[in-house]
Amino acid sequence: MTMDEHNDRQIRDALKQSFPPATTELRRDLWPDILRRLDAHSVSVPWYDWVLVGLSGVAFLAFPRLVLVLAYHL
Amino acid sequence: MDLLQRFALGEIDAFETLVRRFQGEIYAWAVRIVRDPGAAEDLTAETLWRIYRARHKFRPDGNFGAWARRIATNLALDYLRRARPEQSLDADSVGSPQPDRLVEREMREKIRQAFRRLPPKLQVAATLALVEEVPYDEIAAALGTSVGAVRVRVFRAVRILRSRLSQLGINPE
Repeated sequence: MTMDEHNDRQIRDALKQSFPPATTELRRDLWPDILRRLDAHSVSVPWYDWVLVGLSGVAFLAFPRLVLVLAYHL
Repeated sequence: MDLLQRFALGEIDAFETLVRRFQGEIYAWAVRIVRDPGAAEDLTAETLWRIYRARHKFRPDGNFGAWARRIATNLALDYLRRARPEQSLDADSVGSPQPDRLVEREMREKIRQAFRRLPPKLQVAATLALVEEVPYDEIAAALGTSVGAVRVRVFRAVRILRSRLSQLGINPE
């Protein structure tokens, strides 16, 4: 074993003694928290939908008869 | 349809199944890095939330556990950056004549403090490699870097730690 390896082993041992093993068991189910966040998260409209709405508005203003064509096809 | 495909399409039931299946694993990973059960619980919840929000980026043929670990690791790094202690260490109490056990306890506390003052990236690599003995390739995958880079980080962490402990008059044996 080289001097460096010996020194590294010493540091490793010192750290292991200084940090006791962490309790790795989760104490509770986190799903209810996630569900609450999902409920609270408002439905966001993507930017391209707003662009589409804007373009439609402009089209209807420029060509009002489009409304009639659209209504006919609905 | 496969569970991961259903999750990627935004099915809540599929996401619930994944949360129940992976929450323990994500928590275990986070607590090994931050070593604080409360903080690790918060990080796990945040990881799961980010996973849901990024579901469209997930490839159903990918490794969900590895993806979750990577997100949790990034969040843990951010947590360590915020929680980084600012106070300086003093060497006064270490060398003073006290009962052995007390000296030992103080020495461990000094080592913990010196360790927490390492740059977060080095701290995470060193915690996982030296304290938790996680294989280097697993650490590299979680940090999104190479095994070589992880080795360098651990090496630098050991060097800095040794130097700081030496300044405090602590020579681990």
